[in-house]
Amino acid sequence: MKDVGVKLVGLGVCVLLITGCASQGQLYKWGGYDALLYQSYKNPEKVVEFRAGLEAHIAAMEKENLKVAPGLYAELGTMYLQSGEPNKAILMYKKEREAWPESKGLMDALIKNTQKRAGDNAEAKS
Amino acid sequence: MRVLKILTLFLVIVVTGCAAPAKKDLSAFSSVAPRSILVVPSVNKTLDVDAPNYLLSTLTVPIAEKGFYVFPVNTAKFVLEQEGFYEGEQIHNQPPEVLAGLFGADAVLYVTINRWDAKYLVLAATVTVEFDYRLVSKDGVEFWKASQKMQYSPETTNTGSALGNLIAMAVSAAMTRAAPNYLPLTQRANQIVFVLGPNAIPDGPYRKLK
Repeated sequence: MKDVGVKLVGLGVCVLLITGCASQGQLYKWGGYDALLYQSYKNPEKVVEFRAGLEAHIAAMEKENLKVAPGLYAELGTMYLQSGEPNKAILMYKKEREAWPESKGLMDALIKNTQKRAGDNAEAKS
Repeated sequence: MRVLKILTLFLVIVVTGCAAPAKKDLSAFSSVAPRSILVVPSVNKTLDVDAPNYLLSTLTVPIAEKGFYVFPVNTAKFVLEQEGFYEGEQIHNQPPEVLAGLFGADAVLYVTINRWDAKYLVLAATVTVEFDYRLVSKDGVEFWKASQKMQYSPETTNTGSALGNLIAMAVSAAMTRAAPNYLPLTQRANQIVFVLGPNAIPDGPYRKLK
């Protein structure tokens, strides 16, 4: 019994060590962003899941009027851009710019370039 | 009793450790007071070619949760590749002013991977990661740096028999060898460096707002 007690205290200390100092509270919900990105680097085929995961997470956040964490709109936008959907990409870059003013310089450049590329493609097709 | 004394001492360390951390001088950080941080792909001094990507996936959350705007790391990587920059080494050699200017960032985070390996003895395995972190302002001034090394050896439970223990160790080492899991160690290193350690970065603007 004594051993169990000591073990419990030890466990408590460990929990304190891990969570105690970090108990500042989360600012954002990430919807598994880091794990999805990791998986997509590990196996590029998983980019499909990364994209679906971000789409679902962003939709859920918007439905509840919660702020989407920094960078998530833009990351989804870049996946749209890479899969040949420039208009959807531009929409996401605009949302990132609106949510996070610090991103304005980069988002302006991405939007401008994507519009230009989309225009070139349209010209090539016609 | 001795165990209790040790535990009490441990508790004292835990409690005082949180209450009064021996903070390093962060006035350089405060004078730059960045709002946004660009995390660029890291320099890899190890043999594992996947290490930089894996590391990149772990950096956003702890820094953003400290209250900074973190530029989308995969988008930044994509933009840099469009500019012809594929390797961390190449990117770290660019003037920080140019990189920060390209993205409109207040500061750039450079990380170098020094260790990312798993070493095996006959029946035991040790996984190690070690990183150097540097923050440089858009004016090219380095205003914060840290290093962190983390190590892990899988513990095997005592099965009560010598042969059982031997088998447990062999299985554990074999599993570590098959798929050494660097991610928890890397996340722990980031947590110590940015949040828990004596050199942790101060709260950013979005944390202060809360």
